[in-house]
Amino acid sequence: MELELGLALPSSDLMMEKSTFCKKRRFDEVLDENTVTLPLFMQREEDSDSDRGFERSSEELNFGGGRVIVGWPPVKLSRRRTSCVKVNMEGIAIGRKVDLSLHDSYQALFLTLYTMFPKKQHEEEDGAYNSYKVTYEDEEGDWMLVGDVPWEAFIKSAKRLKIITY
Amino acid sequence: MVGRFRWAAMFPDEVWEHVFSFLTSDADRNAAALVCRNWNRIERRSRKRVFVGNCYSVAPTVAVRLFPEVRAAVIKGKPHFADFNLVPSDWGGGAEAWVEAMAEGWPNLEELRFKRMVVSDDCLDLIARSFKNFKVLSLVSCDGFSTSGLAAIAANCRNLRELNLRESEVEETCLNWISHFPESCTSLVALDIACLEGEVNASILERLISRCSNIMTLRLNHSVPLERLVGLLQRAPQLMDLGTGKFSARHNPQLFSRLESAIAGCKNLRNLSGFWEPGLTYLPAVYSICEGLTSLNLNYATIQNPELVKLISRCKNLRRLLVMDLIEDSGLVAVASSCKLLQELRVFPSDPYDAAEPVSLTEQGLVAVSAGCPMLHSVLYFCRQMTNAALLTVAKNRPNLTCFRLCIIEPRTPDYVTQEPLDTGFSAIVESCKDLRRLSVSGLLTDLVFKSIGASANYLEMLSIAFAGDGDMGLHYILSGCKNLRKLEIRDCPFGDKPLLQNASKLETMRSLWMSSCSVTLGACRQLARAMPRLNVEVINESGRGPLVAQPDNCPVEKLYIYRTIAGPRTDTPQCVWTI
Repeated sequence: MELELGLALPSSDLMMEKSTFCKKRRFDEVLDENTVTLPLFMQREEDSDSDRGFERSSEELNFGGGRVIVGWPPVKLSRRRTSCVKVNMEGIAIGRKVDLSLHDSYQALFLTLYTMFPKKQHEEEDGAYNSYKVTYEDEEGDWMLVGDVPWEAFIKSAKRLKIITY
Repeated sequence: MVGRFRWAAMFPDEVWEHVFSFLTSDADRNAAALVCRNWNRIERRSRKRVFVGNCYSVAPTVAVRLFPEVRAAVIKGKPHFADFNLVPSDWGGGAEAWVEAMAEGWPNLEELRFKRMVVSDDCLDLIARSFKNFKVLSLVSCDGFSTSGLAAIAANCRNLRELNLRESEVEETCLNWISHFPESCTSLVALDIACLEGEVNASILERLISRCSNIMTLRLNHSVPLERLVGLLQRAPQLMDLGTGKFSARHNPQLFSRLESAIAGCKNLRNLSGFWEPGLTYLPAVYSICEGLTSLNLNYATIQNPELVKLISRCKNLRRLLVMDLIEDSGLVAVASSCKLLQELRVFPSDPYDAAEPVSLTEQGLVAVSAGCPMLHSVLYFCRQMTNAALLTVAKNRPNLTCFRLCIIEPRTPDYVTQEPLDTGFSAIVESCKDLRRLSVSGLLTDLVFKSIGASANYLEMLSIAFAGDGDMGLHYILSGCKNLRKLEIRDCPFGDKPLLQNASKLETMRSLWMSSCSVTLGACRQLARAMPRLNVEVINESGRGPLVAQPDNCPVEKLYIYRTIAGPRTDTPQCVWTI
């Protein structure tokens, strides 16, 4: 079960205005037991004649173990005009949202992510510093390493982010 | 029976040509061409407009040879599901073969319209050089070209009237391609560059617009700021169709009043679109022309209520409305009472991938519009919940629907009140709306709905199905019914080999069939291909299992695209596509 916060960067009024489309909710609203986020894809019961022997290629597992459906809902990608994407960090239940259009480079994005998921939340007990990778899901449902493609291409195709340890 | 047609031979060909020139629809011309050999020869030799719904259905050289006098051609490429990334990017739909054949055989070509084709810069270059009287270039949902190609078009097509790039993906390689329109270019009537990602030089655009006194359609991209829009509108007050650029700026009362008066000066404005990043302060600047609008496209505008409703309620003469679900049910109720002439409504999801925070747009909004807008005949509606009762009401209110596309965002969602499948709801739609041409179904559906569709949807031409049905019978009902079906696209349904093989001949009466993530096996494809030589049976397998020729019959097929053709198997298939 994932809960989400959409917090703006701790910065100027202009940023606040732009972030309103990340649909901010108050912390206590989020933690209300009744406001549960439904999974994107409902689990089906096993059908008895599913001895077809192959996985449906439309369903894939993402890093969080949740199911993702390629090409659904049927909207053209250019349609996603809001540049907010969800960010999850491995091992942390609460996800965030980040507005990609407020950043002009990977560096700026990483800075925001570092602010959103401060070290204290994920440090090992012995204080060892873990290495992290930021990955993103692109328009084709594939998980890629953030930073490989030019920034402009990245913000057009990134659907969601996931920070993983390695 | 020859004697009966002897009178036909009394008239010279030119007379029949003149008669045929009054037949404006392709269907009528096709019918005339089948009357007798003479008419066939005369009709095809005098045909000026040709429509090729599937670029692989006929070889370009053959088409050009058969219809030597064509002045306007429409060619479509990739299957519709390519819009949703279901078709591999290298699948095909390349325009080269067509452009080369046309350059060779149709030197007098004036209009070329491509949809979902891959058009290279070389193609654009060839177009620019080959047709001396070229007037219209329309590239809808195309890709493969860059602004360098556009520069070639701008520079060389002296009589260019229309350049339309709607929803295409264009690489930015030439920064100032607009400056390649020569000073002598005064012929532009329509320019749609809304899809361009890069900067467009507004000063050069302004000069271009100034000298094109007949410009009627101007759709800008997001890079054109509001300040520059004022100048453009002042130079083109005769505009009928405007797509704004970025619709926000710092608060500036002078800018607001200049914008307001520039817009008010465009007394012929009928279509309005654009509104990238809309700022609420500037929206009222368009109020003065709202009453004259017949088409309003806000599908990229993240405007919420109440400003959204305030804007739309003023548009009392609207025929066509495209809007995001931010309008909510309350907004649609307002539309139902304000926009009595509404014919087409499209409601898009503002946040399609995020189920966490639904807007308050439900089946109620759809019902309200169906009740309040008597001329509504075309609907595209994305929502998160639906009931059979609502669909029954819509069906009863609007038997005049010709296009009904409903997308309930979560697959297999039942009627949220009764928890039943939505079979009865969609059945009511097809039974009541006797002129339905296009239908997309969604939600929880059993084979029963397909029984109704097969039996009742007699004029249905295009059907889209996703995550529906129980088994083979579902597909069988469709293929054995739906007399006028042309395009069928299916994903994630438990439809297998039997209905395909049982209805093989039906497939030749259709333009195409797409099936992905269903239960079709390679063996059935092989059988089908053997039995039906005038079909191309293309299997797409992207998971790299090795050459298909070595796979056994029970190998499952990921994606299948079948289309009728007189051109035989195509020669440009990529690695992941096999023509069986």
